[in-house]
This record gives sequence, structure tokens and C-alpha cells, in this order.
Amino acid sequence: MYFLHDMERTITLHPSFFGPRVKEYIRGRLMEDVEGTCTGQFYIICVMDTDTQDFSEGRVVPGSAVAEYTVHYRAVVWRPFKGETVDAIVSSVNREGIFADVGPLPTFVSKHMIPSDIKWDPNATPPQFTDNGDQVIEKGTHLRIKIMGTRSDVGSMFAIGSIKEDFLGTL
Amino acid sequence: MSSAALLDQDFGSESEDDNFNPAPAEDSDNDAAGDSDEEVNVRTNGNGAEQRRRPSEQQAHDDDEDDDNDAEGSFANGRQSNGHGTRVSADEEDEGTKGNGAGRLNATENGGDDEDEDEEEEEEEEDEEEAISGRPRKRARRDPRNQFLDVEAEVDEEDEGDEEDEGDQADPFIAETHPDDVADLPDGAETDDRRHRELDRQRERAQQMDAEKQAQLLREKYGRRTATNADAVTVPKRLLLPSVDDPSIWGVKCKQGKEREIVFALTKRIEERAGTKNPMPVISAFERGGTMIGYIYIEARRQADIHTALEGIMNVYPRTSIVMVPIKEMPDLLRVTKSESLVPGGYVRIKRGKYAGDLAQIDEVETNGLMASLRIVPRLDYGQAEDNNAPMVDGGIRGEAQKRKRQNAVGLNNPATRPPPRLFSDVEAKKKHLKFLQQMSTFDKKHWQYMGDTYISGFLIKDFRIQHLTTENVNPTLEEVTRFTAGAEDGTENLDLSALAATLKKGTSNENYLPGDMVEVYEGEQQGVSGKAVAVRGDIVTIAVIDGELRGQNIEVPVKGLRKRFKEGDHVKVIGGSRYRDEVGMVVSIKNDTVTLLSDLSMQEITVFSKDLREASDTGVAGGLGRYDIHDLVQLDPATVGCVTKVDRESLRVLDQNGSTRSIMPSQISNKIEKRRHAVATDRNGSEIRTDDTVREIGGESKQGVILHIYRSFLFLHNREQTENSGISVVRASNVATVAAKGGRVAHGGNTGPDLNKMNPALMRNGVNGNGAMAPPKTFGRDRALDQTVTIRKGPYKGLLGIVKDTTDLEARVELHTKGKTITVPKDTLGFKDPLTGQSIDYTRFAGTRGRGGGGRGGYAGNMGGATPGREPQWQGGRTPVPMATGGRTPAWGAGGSSARTPAWSANASTARTPMWRQDAVSSNGGGRTPAYNAGADGSRTVNPYADGSRTVNPYGGSTSYGGAAGGGSRTPAWNPTATSSSYTHDPFSSRTPAHEPSSGRTPAPSYPTPQDLRPYDAPTPGKDFTTAPTPAAHPSNGYAGSTPAAIGGAPTPKFSGDAPTPFSGQPETPGWRGEADDEPSDVTFPIQQGRFLSTIFGS
Repeated sequence: MYFLHDMERTITLHPSFFGPRVKEYIRGRLMEDVEGTCTGQFYIICVMDTDTQDFSEGRVVPGSAVAEYTVHYRAVVWRPFKGETVDAIVSSVNREGIFADVGPLPTFVSKHMIPSDIKWDPNATPPQFTDNGDQVIEKGTHLRIKIMGTRSDVGSMFAIGSIKEDFLGTL
Repeated sequence: MSSAALLDQDFGSESEDDNFNPAPAEDSDNDAAGDSDEEVNVRTNGNGAEQRRRPSEQQAHDDDEDDDNDAEGSFANGRQSNGHGTRVSADEEDEGTKGNGAGRLNATENGGDDEDEDEEEEEEEEDEEEAISGRPRKRARRDPRNQFLDVEAEVDEEDEGDEEDEGDQADPFIAETHPDDVADLPDGAETDDRRHRELDRQRERAQQMDAEKQAQLLREKYGRRTATNADAVTVPKRLLLPSVDDPSIWGVKCKQGKEREIVFALTKRIEERAGTKNPMPVISAFERGGTMIGYIYIEARRQADIHTALEGIMNVYPRTSIVMVPIKEMPDLLRVTKSESLVPGGYVRIKRGKYAGDLAQIDEVETNGLMASLRIVPRLDYGQAEDNNAPMVDGGIRGEAQKRKRQNAVGLNNPATRPPPRLFSDVEAKKKHLKFLQQMSTFDKKHWQYMGDTYISGFLIKDFRIQHLTTENVNPTLEEVTRFTAGAEDGTENLDLSALAATLKKGTSNENYLPGDMVEVYEGEQQGVSGKAVAVRGDIVTIAVIDGELRGQNIEVPVKGLRKRFKEGDHVKVIGGSRYRDEVGMVVSIKNDTVTLLSDLSMQEITVFSKDLREASDTGVAGGLGRYDIHDLVQLDPATVGCVTKVDRESLRVLDQNGSTRSIMPSQISNKIEKRRHAVATDRNGSEIRTDDTVREIGGESKQGVILHIYRSFLFLHNREQTENSGISVVRASNVATVAAKGGRVAHGGNTGPDLNKMNPALMRNGVNGNGAMAPPKTFGRDRALDQTVTIRKGPYKGLLGIVKDTTDLEARVELHTKGKTITVPKDTLGFKDPLTGQSIDYTRFAGTRGRGGGGRGGYAGNMGGATPGREPQWQGGRTPVPMATGGRTPAWGAGGSSARTPAWSANASTARTPMWRQDAVSSNGGGRTPAYNAGADGSRTVNPYADGSRTVNPYGGSTSYGGAAGGGSRTPAWNPTATSSSYTHDPFSSRTPAHEPSSGRTPAPSYPTPQDLRPYDAPTPGKDFTTAPTPAAHPSNGYAGSTPAAIGGAPTPKFSGDAPTPFSGQPETPGWRGEADDEPSDVTFPIQQGRFLSTIFGS
């Protein structure tokens, strides 16, 4: 689910950047540092309102000459939830299940969470899950998945999903 | 039904059945007493007085009952004669009187006559049926018969054995056949017609009577009964308790383990002597199984009786001590504790012998409860360990026997030497032990006899005494249990999880719940309730119920009926004794007690019992808490390293550099090799690869993965899509091609400092303009490269010599001397011969020098020359920057940044670091780089000369700063522009600024460009410094200080200082500076202070 989230970040700036455009640099740095990253809880998609961001006064860190700025900013973040239904693209399949990417979130759909009529077919090229009908799940297939659980590590997340429900599965 | 039913009951055979049914609890007290007596008798066999007394009582009952029946019979008859109207009440009366007259006995009777509550409804129906069809038919048959036939005592088949009902049933016969009785009967009793009619009427009435009335009637009739019955249940229990009048129980010591035998012997003796002249004086004997080992209990009137009874029985010691059990404790003796019942299919452990500690499945339990036949996974070596040369006596058999003996002596039980458990294989056995092998059944191919043991389907079937088995806390692991599942012929696993779960349940003690666990009650009254454990005390868990009717309440539940509850997607950790201990993963499926989870680390699915799981924190945990973690690189021996692929409790699984996996103990690891972040290798294409790059193997298995470790020429890759070895594989660096380098590595070559390219706002500005690095200045006219003899410095033709035949802006066509072939190569990769020094220089330089030369900067040219060499190293590095060099500062910059290495340094150095420079200068093109450098330090002094040089340069360059000194005039302008334009830039680069400006396009500067570059370069050094050692602070200060500062700066400063004086000329800059300083101080609090700045300047 997407949220607008207010966050704060401390940015250190090398003295090279001290100058009239320092704000511009900070802003640039913020975008660079933050956009597209994962906090372990959510993904930061996009930094908003770059004009109204609130920069603190710079403070030179004793002993290193870099200046520290605290920036309050607002960003669009995406946080996957248990039970959320999302669309994904299959990144690989193996006997144990399907790996799919929900945007930046790698997700695993175990064979236990695949309807029993969709079976692993190792003889197909490429190997795939298929019900021998119109549902074929192989690399690149678009899937609709229900997130069953998420795990967060430092700077990354992982989820397991299910397609064993109505309206889930190939798109 | 109503009265009809009543009537029927009186006469019906069901009632008789009820009468004699011993089981129902609602029977009267006496009956119950009788029953229990009977039960006791079954066990005791004694002919004690009590028993004798009881039968007599019973007989009394029977008599009573008989009387009763008779009475009833007459009643019935009487009733029959009466009209229907009175029937019911008469019946009631009946019961009343009976109750009064016969007391409890009658209650029985009644209970018998009428049905139990439970059966009420059934009976009702039955009755109704009977009323409609059954009875009348019977009677119709009987009565006419009586009417026309003279048969006196014909007995209806159905009524055979219905002695109890004699009274009722006999009545008609008697009444009708016996003339004497006729008088007793009401008038016309013998006339069947009347009865028929009566019946018909009854039936009609019954049908007409509405259901409600019927119900009421029934309730009246039976409602009362229930009360009595309930009473009847409670009374006997109290009465049954032993009293002083009852025989006493004595406990007698005996040999442990022989209790049961003794009791059996005693029982036998009692039976034998029963009915003889001297019957056994004991009433009963029993033992208490496991709880009171070494005692048997005997019930007798006198202690002396016990001695007589036990005379001549082995293993019991009545002489030593006999304990009389107090009356109060007697009932406890008979309390049945559910004994550990061994059920076929359950699991036990063997206590001793070759299979000590092994899990076994119960195949069969013998009825005496002493032996059990077990299925075991055999541990056989099929004679592999035999000594072939051992003397064979008697055709080997005795030798064999001896051997076995010896082996036993050595200790077959020693877990270290005993063979591993494997299913029996007849093929293996045939190899050496054909003579000991025998197929037991021709149609069952899996039934073998080998060395005296039976093997079925690969399992050893063997009898064990139960006392040699561990039946509690067996705790089979899934792994062990799965060995027993391989038996199915089709290879399917028929793991009986329920049996396993049952076994596991027995050992609940180690099932540990902690407050906070989500649990679910799956057994008992609260089945289905789930909640969170809030407290655990012994075997009782207090649960805060979270859903259902009990929501919000706290209930206490015994551990026995609990199991942990997980949901799909939960993040759990394996804690129990399973081999997956410490794995962490997410639950993907749950089936009763078993949970399948996807391990975080290995990405494999594992199945464990829910009791072995616990909710893990939501954040990932690296598995294994020991010294070695998965993915660690460890040194196995001096020549071998391996990557840990799995961490078990006591062992590690590693994949070594040769691609083989092995399990090792942590102690076998000599040390752990810390990950070297900066390890570099080259792939087959010669491009550099580092850890975290993604590479693909060329050829082989085309493995792909992210580099975990680089060890010499081996790469350890990790690929999460590969299941074997937890996704780890090993490849040779020379066999891989880069798929993606992390972060598109370009700029930094192992440079840990901040990336100056990104850090330099000036560069960024360039970036904004669209060209990241400044393009080499256009040269006009004939390309000087034409017809030059060049070496190719890069690419497949590297090292070859050739002549440039034609050029474009970027490329040159070179005719190779060797191959007689003309190729097109980028000009960058060409090495030219410097016309002056003879050294190899690259194109830009080559072209550039010339240009300058042309410029007529004579003196300077000389410098140039000097300079060039210094730089060259840099260039040679292959730094494109070169072009920039020409262009102006940027290059210098770039060079610094990209090459990063000392050369860069030197480059910069040229100015500040001048040392090198100077070195070179002095030595005139001395090739030395670093050394130069070092020298530099010393040379700082030299500097001056140099400085001068630089000054000369000034004109050109960067020296702007110096410039002040030198061609100040011209410089300054350049300067100013810079200053203004790049106001911000300055700060850091203050000294550099000038340089910048040129780049920024202070065109004027450009004219001098090259030289400038140099200068700027030099000046910029600070920048460099950053790169190398981001102590920038110092530098900036320099900048401010007007370079002088150099002095201020840390280490490098000295050099600076050297320069500083000279040049620094800073002054000119200063102005610019100041301007800026004034403008911008707000942005940054500059500790430094213009005051200082100025002072330095002035000072200098």
C-alpha cells in the first residue's frame, strides 16, 4: 500500500558544496540517497514537495569539516502488508515454487500455495507451472498474488505469497 | 399407546430383558450391588464369607422378584378384568404398592418393567408398534390356540427362556387351562373375544389420544423414575467402600519384576483349590504395576491366611514383612492409573544392546504385556568387518560364533563401532553371508531370516522385554521416524503422523510454552479455543482467549491438550530437537501438527512439528550463532578454503574451492578468512571483478551469481535460485564473464575516499551542461598523428607497432608493421613518441604539446616538458582525463578523481605536491613517480625553483594564483570570471578556482589552457587531497587561506607552504574569494575566518 510519509534524514555535505546552491545539492543528495531504497519496513518510492522541504541549519562536524543538515521531507512509500493482493512478475520458477517480483519486493510462492491443479512441469521449456490449460507460469508471467507474510532485513524485504485463492494467479 | 402399552409391557418380553439386564446403572441399588459383587467375584475367586453372603442375598432378591412378578401377574390379571378407565391409575397404584412393599427391589422391578429414560423413546415406538401389530398377533395366535387346542404347556418360541415373565405369560395359560384358577379370574377372562375387543379399543384410544396427553402420561410415568434412578447411582458407591467388616488387604514384599508372576501363580492356586476341602483362604491378590514395585497385595481375613496361601510360591517373602493397608487407603489401591499402553505403531526406544538408543516401532504387543515385538532399522555390516583370514572352524559357523562373541566383547554396543542403521539388504547379505541367509516365504519376497533374526521389508523384527524399552519421553525426531516410512513398495511415504504425534505427546514435559506463544486447544472441553499464553505453571498454561465465545477470558488448560498455533506467513524459528534446529523461515503450509516452512537461508522447505517452532522476530536473523556463519569463507588447510553452506548444531557444511562439499567440525577449521572487500580479480575478458558483482560462468554449468568471496583465482558465488549448497557455487575467475558490476563501477578504483566526481560542484555543473567531462579541445588543421609511428596500448592489438594512415576525430587507422594489415583503433589507445623526450605519450598529449609549443611559450614549454613526464605516469594509466588535461582543469580533476592513484597525486602534486613535480622538473623529466613524490617532501624547498617554474607557468595557468605573480594581468581576468561565476565552487577549491574557471569556460583562460591545467591542477591539489585523504578540511582552509593555508593544513601542508609562499600569490584570488565569502557565509558556518585568511595572505 502506498503512503505519504514524513521522514527525516541527516545529510552530510562535503565542504566542496558549501555555496549558494547548497540547498540544491542537499536536495539532489537526498533524492539520490533515498529514492528507491528500502528501509526494511517499506520502500521509498519518491520524494515529494521538494520545494517545501525543511532544511536545518548546517552544522560543521568537528574534526571532519563536513556539514550536517537535517532534512525533513515527505515521500511516497510503499509498504507491503500481509494479506495484501498485488501484481507481480515472475522472475524464476523451480520445483519448490515461484519467485516473483512485486516491484522491488522479491516474493516467493511456495508450491503449497499454488492451486493443486497447477503442477510443476519440469519437461517444458522453460520449466513451468501449468494446469495444462491456459494457465502457464514461467519466467515473465504476470501474476496476481496475495502476500502471506513479509520478512524484513536491514535494507531489504522479502515476502511469501499465495495464489491459492479465487481471483489470484495468472493475469 | 398409554394403557395398551402398559399392558404390553407387563406381558412383553422386553420387560423381562430389562429385568435381567445387569448393565444399566439405573437398576436399583441392590441390583447395582449385585452387579458389583459379581464383578468382584470375577476377580477374587475366593470363597470368603462375604461372597457367600452375597450370593445368598442375591438369591433373596431373586425370590423377591419372583414373588413380585407373581404379584404383578395377578395384578395384571386383575387389571385386565377392570375397565380401561381404571387401568392407568391402577397401574400407578401398583407401582406405589410395589414400591412400598418390596422397597428397593421393587424399584428394580419397576425399572425393569418400564424402560430407562434413555431408551424411553425407542421403547415408546416399539411399544406402539407392538400395540399395533406385535402383541395382538401373538395373542391372536395364542388365544385361539388355547381355545381350540388342548395343548397345555406349549411354549411360544419367542417366549422361551422368558422365565421372568412366567408370571405374566403363564397366567393366560394357567388361567385358561387350569380350571382351579378360573375362579380367580374375572368373569369372562377366558373369553378371548373380549380381550380382542379390549385391545382394539385400547388401540383406538391410543390413536385418538393426542400426542400431548400421551407425552404427559409418559412423563408422569417415567419422570418419577428418573429421580429414583439418579439416586440409585450414587448410593452404592458410598456403600461399597470397605468397612471394618470387610477383609483386610496386606502388602507382601516380593522380588522386583516378579509381581505379576506371583499373582498369576496365586490365582492359579486359588482356582485349583476352590471347592476342595481346603480352599485358599485369600479372597484376592493383585499388584500395583509400576507404581509399587516389589509388593503384591493380598486380600484376606487374617494375616495367617496369607502365610498359608503363599506357602511354596517363589520370589515372595511373606516372612520378612507384611504391611496391612489401612481401610482408608484401600480404595486407592484399586484406583486404576492408565497404564502406558503400548500400541502397535507407536514408537519406543531400546535401552540396551546393539540398538541402544535406537528408535523402534512397535509391531505387536504380546497379551501378557511383558514382551513386545519391535520393528527396528537394523545395524548390520553383513560381515564386512570380518577378518577373512580368521581360522574357520566347523565350516565357519563356529568361527563366526566366536567372532560374534569377540565383537561383543570389544563392544558392539559401542556407538562408535556399530554399523549405521540401514534397511536390510538381501543383496548385501548374499555377498558374504549367503549361508546365514534364508528366505522365509516364497511369495513374500521381503521376508528373510538372517543370522537368526527375522527381517521383513528391510526391518528387523525382534522381540524385546518391555522393561528394556523406554516408552516415555521417546521424542522421536522426524528424521528417525522417516526411516520407518521407506517401507512402502511404491516408494510413497506412509508416515503415520498421528502415531508419531501420539508418541510425542507422551513426552509433554519438554514441550515448552512461553508466555506470548499463540496456542490452540485441540483436545478436551475447550477444543478449538485459541489464544495467547499468558502464564505457564508446570503443566498448566493460562491462556488469554482471543476469539470465540470465551474471548477476553483467561482459561487454564493442561499442556497435554495444547499445541502451538501458527498462521501461514508467520516468521518462525525451529527450536526443538529436530535437525533443523535454529532454522528460521516463513510458514507456507500447516497440516494439523506439522508445519512446513521456507527457510530464509537455504530457501528450502522443511517440515517440522509445530511444537518445535517458535515465533521469530520479524527481522531476519542470520542462522547459526556460533563462530561461523553461513557464507563465511574458512580456511580448511593451507591449500584449501571453503565457503560455509550450512551451519548445523555441531557441524558445518562447506563447499571447498574444488567444488566438493564436506561436513566438518568447527574444530577442523583453522581460521576464518575475513571478507576482503577490495579483492579484485579479472574475468575472462580482462575486466575487473569484485565482490558483489554478478558474473556468469562461461561454459561448464553456466552458473551465475553474485560474488561472495574472491580467493585467488576462485570465486564463490551465491545464487538464490539454486537450491544445492544453499545457492553457493565455486568457479574460476578465468571462466566467468561479468554480467553486472556493482554500482557500474567506473570512477573509483578501490578508492575509499568520497567520490570527488560527485562531490565537485563544478563538475556537476558541467554535467548539467550535458558533457560530463570536458571534451578535448578541437585542434585544427592536419592531424598531427598522421604518419606517426605509434604503439597500440590497449585492446587486442595491444603492444603492436604501426603507422597512422588516417584519422577521424576519435579514431585512427593504423597500418601494423607486423601483420601488414590496417586496423581502426581509438586514438586514445595510441602511444606516440614524444618528439622531445622520446617517451611514449598519448594522443592528446602529443597533439597538445605541439600546440603549445607552437604557442611560443618557450620557457614554459620547457616546463611543459618537465611536466609532461611527471604527468605521464598518470596518463599512461590510460586516463582519458588526458583530454581534459588539455581542456583545462577539469581534466586535472578528472584525472585525480578517476585514477586516484598516486599518479593523480603526482598530478596534483605538481602544484601543491609539487614535489613530484619539481622532482621531475628538476631532474628534468625524471620518470619517478612516487619516489619523486617522496622526494617532493624534501624537495619542498626545491619547490621554490619549482615555484618559479610554476610561476612561469602562471601565465598559463593555474597559476593564476601564482599568477598574481606571473602573468598576473592576463590571469586575473580569467580569474575574476571564475571567481564570480563559480562563486560557490571556490570555497573548497579556492586555489583551484582558477582552474575551474577555465573549465567553466572562461575562455580567455583557455588560450593558455594546457599550462593552465597544470597549474590549476597543482592548485587544485586540495581536491586531490580530498581524494586521497579526505581531510579536506585542511584544504579548504588552504583555499581560504589563500593557499598559504597549506601551511595550516595537516600533513601535506608543508609542501604547500613551500609553494604557498611563492605563489600564492593567492592574493589575486583573494579578492574573488572574499567576494564570495561575503556572499555566502550564511550557508556554511566557516570556522575559518576571513581574518585568518587575510592575515595569512598578507602574511605570506
